[in-house]
Amino acid sequence: MNKDKMMKIVLFFLFTLVCILILIPFYAILLASFKPGGDLVRYGLNLNFDLSMMSLNNFHYLFTGKHAYFDWFFNSVVLTVVQVALTLIISATVAYGFAAYQFVGKNFLFICVLMIMMVPFEILLLPLYTLTNQLGLMNTYSAIILPGIASAATIFFFRQYISGIPREIISAGRVDGASEYGIYVRLILPIMKPSFAAMAILNGMNSWNNFIWPFMVLSETQKYTLPIGLKTLLTPYGNNYDLLIVGSFFSIIPILILFLSFQKYFIDGMTAGAVKG
Amino acid sequence: MIKRWLSLAVVVSMFAMLIACSGGNGGNNGGNKGGSDAVIDGGADETATELSYWTFVELHGQLFETMLPKWNTANPERQIKLNVSVMPYDDMHNKLSIAIQTGVGAPDIADIELGKFPDFLAGTPQLEPLNDVIDPYRDTVVESRINLYTKDGKNYGIDSHVGASVAYYNVELLEQAGVDYTTIETWEDFKQAGIKLYEETGKYMGTADTSALWQLSQLLAQQGSDLTDDNGIPQVNTPEAIRALTMLKDLQDNNVIATIAGGQPDTEEAYGEFNAGNYATAFLPFWFMSRYTNYMGELSGKIALAPIPVLEKGMPRSVGGGGTGTVVTKTAVDVQLAKDFLAFAKLTEDANIEIWNTLGFDPLNMNVWEMEEVTHNPENTFVKYFVNNPFDVLNDIKSEIEMIKSTSASPTINNVLGTITLNEIFEDGRDVTEALNDAQAQIEQELK
Amino acid sequence: MTLIKRFIYSQKIAPYVFILPFVLVFAIFWAYPLLNSFEMSFQKVSLGQESSWAGVNNYTKLMGDTVFLKAVGNSFIYMVITLVILIPLPMLFAVLLNSKFMWGREFFKASFFFPALTSVVVAGTIFRLMFGEMEGSMINNILASINIEPVKFLKGQVTGLIALVALATWRWMGVNMLYFLSGLKNIPDDYYEAAAIDGASKSQQFFKITIPLLKPTSIYVLTISIYAGLAMFTESMMLWNGNNSPKNIGLTIVGYLYRQGIEKNNLGYAAAVGIVLLAITMIINITQLTISGMFKKEEQS
Repeated sequence: MNKDKMMKIVLFFLFTLVCILILIPFYAILLASFKPGGDLVRYGLNLNFDLSMMSLNNFHYLFTGKHAYFDWFFNSVVLTVVQVALTLIISATVAYGFAAYQFVGKNFLFICVLMIMMVPFEILLLPLYTLTNQLGLMNTYSAIILPGIASAATIFFFRQYISGIPREIISAGRVDGASEYGIYVRLILPIMKPSFAAMAILNGMNSWNNFIWPFMVLSETQKYTLPIGLKTLLTPYGNNYDLLIVGSFFSIIPILILFLSFQKYFIDGMTAGAVKG
Repeated sequence: MIKRWLSLAVVVSMFAMLIACSGGNGGNNGGNKGGSDAVIDGGADETATELSYWTFVELHGQLFETMLPKWNTANPERQIKLNVSVMPYDDMHNKLSIAIQTGVGAPDIADIELGKFPDFLAGTPQLEPLNDVIDPYRDTVVESRINLYTKDGKNYGIDSHVGASVAYYNVELLEQAGVDYTTIETWEDFKQAGIKLYEETGKYMGTADTSALWQLSQLLAQQGSDLTDDNGIPQVNTPEAIRALTMLKDLQDNNVIATIAGGQPDTEEAYGEFNAGNYATAFLPFWFMSRYTNYMGELSGKIALAPIPVLEKGMPRSVGGGGTGTVVTKTAVDVQLAKDFLAFAKLTEDANIEIWNTLGFDPLNMNVWEMEEVTHNPENTFVKYFVNNPFDVLNDIKSEIEMIKSTSASPTINNVLGTITLNEIFEDGRDVTEALNDAQAQIEQELK
Repeated sequence: MTLIKRFIYSQKIAPYVFILPFVLVFAIFWAYPLLNSFEMSFQKVSLGQESSWAGVNNYTKLMGDTVFLKAVGNSFIYMVITLVILIPLPMLFAVLLNSKFMWGREFFKASFFFPALTSVVVAGTIFRLMFGEMEGSMINNILASINIEPVKFLKGQVTGLIALVALATWRWMGVNMLYFLSGLKNIPDDYYEAAAIDGASKSQQFFKITIPLLKPTSIYVLTISIYAGLAMFTESMMLWNGNNSPKNIGLTIVGYLYRQGIEKNNLGYAAAVGIVLLAITMIINITQLTISGMFKKEEQS
């Protein structure tokens, strides 16, 4: 028994240590958000806890200052919501097509989806860029949302999930005279609800943190999403560290709250692909 | 039930998309909240034309903000509202380039930094020639500054300043070692002063820049040389360049100069170091003054300007550094209005006085340099901050301000030297001639 | 009207309607750009100007381009190191966490996972400041307390890599660990009990049961890590505050693609970079998948 208990303690200690290491950067940012931005530059990011230097100034600036932070925040939220909604709808629909039917071209389409997973998105950046230009969609949100709808992970996950639904439900529906679409909307979708949550989170996180592509597309400060906006605070002509730090810290908070409330869904969502490969 | 949720979701998404896609004036809380993206109305009324302006320096926007009301008062039938967008340096230039080339989404007026300007002059420039609005002011402004932004006789950009390079000495620090900065005329003087400073205080006299070409440009200009030859072809391994960097390397070996956090004085990490008194000198253009007032408050009353040391007495002691040309795009909503406003805001005497007062720049109109009430105004932030009067120094070197050309090869040159070569020399101790030869080869290879 | 309606509502046509939205998006925003990229790589193209055919010029130029080769080297080394750290370690942690010895399992799960939720911009900025050169920078402070000279992390090849890997580890350790945890859940406890009864030690159990049965998860993590490692860009960009690191120590393949395509407007050349990246990723992934025999399985399900 002693050996077991010792193992418990050792492991606990080990994990706590690693945990501390992981949480240090967060603590540093927390501290930094109470210190003037200029200090960050002069003295670097550190763990000094000096009450005399700390104040709520940055927070005050965040909420009352003349800047676009909350525009960015709002943009990110809207963009994320819309992108997630569309991705879920379209992915669920095509997943249902895969799972419930046999049709010509099914295998081909399946390979296409597989390819999405295998091809790095970055390769598409440039041609998407010229395409967006040609379509006149530069600096619009459509340009950001549309390419992001094709999410292979989501499609696979849904397909998996739907495959688990007994076929009898579908045939029963047909017998009852429901249309194909009626079956989908009224019978299948309700059953899929739990999977929606997980996928909403997965896509939500991706969308919220999305950087490169929106960065290339947007050119108006007010349209920027949060990651881009924060980055623009770092300019060669003077960095706005006050806003950057407190803004960075603040951007973590909603995620943190969401995460703590919906932990299970988060974890399910983001590890969705791993189970069956 | 699901159907209702679905339709709700669809409606919400469509609505959101509608808002999102309807351009900048959509559901994003209007324009005036963003400090860096605002519509300045300068007292204009509803008949005003809205012009859009892109820049990467907030300060430049402020100049326009000051001049706009004056324009609107003087031109009531041609009033202007200005929509200012401040974007990060690289980003703004990239997007501007795309917008101009494709003809879609370009602003009416934009800043283009000197280093990037050649890219915009390639082929047939999609910018409006500004000769007609510059002509009235031609004899009052520094001609070489206009030439920097000219192609085939057409002027495309108007700068805000001359950007004469000077030395900024931390007088207090130097006094601790008994060094009098006014006695420094040559680099040899500088070296001796630096050795003394290091012995007495352990601090460095100056910086060994690794990420910027200020010092190299200054030293090349002194020797009458340049980074490119008369045809714009890169030449970074000339005897003059080798002499310049070898001299600097020697200074580094003697602890006179040292590399600095951030790679060059014009970064925040470096401001911190200067503020803490770890380095005594910075060699930068005139506009660097505003960095002192903005970021290095602790040094107020301790910094003096002086001409840059020379390799041999008699060499020109200054060179124009940096610069931003403001341009009018071909797709501007009202080209003539934009051009007239631009000239008004940057070339008139009034504007030039503002340029000094607000931005702390050495204005293009050299007549202003002689106006004592302006240059020695005791209320001026910069006059208050520095130990001596900046214009006294400026007038001293007035006729010695050289130019380093900016060509289509310049971005590559800046990139190779500023990321690779200078690091090799000052961080890794590589032989100067070898490093420069390699740089030359790499630049040629990249430009093929 | 009803004829059309009956057509659309028929059981044969319905699947096509279901897949239609996706197919449209896929075709326009994925397939077309991919083909376009391929095409552009054989051209000399700039935005707003005419494109001209360049044959394989872009590719031959790439082969002799020292900066590109450096970028490939950087990306490759980064990928390998992240694989070495971010597969065994999380697996180990997952196993430990899963064992009956752990208190506070949920808490640790959550806190390990948390870094993955921060935006790369925020994370990159934090790490850039932590590894900075200033006198108060955290990492250098720690080094100082054990009497090591301050290091200019972001200026050296190896040290820059250390910073990058630190950032990656911080972000992905938790995620990978969770992947393995869910994989572990699929291994029935009876296996371990049976093995224990047969006299197998803990480590034997680990190597003979756990690792083989975690194979699908490992393959998955391996695949996405290869991808993530080779395509890394934003982390590097945030760490060096731009695409221009001293001596290009932080330049990655995608970074070079961005530099050529957006900063210099050489779209054809940049497209070629992209295609090379695609080729490398595909080769590596197909190789590792074939070795582990995953392909047959994929087709079946």
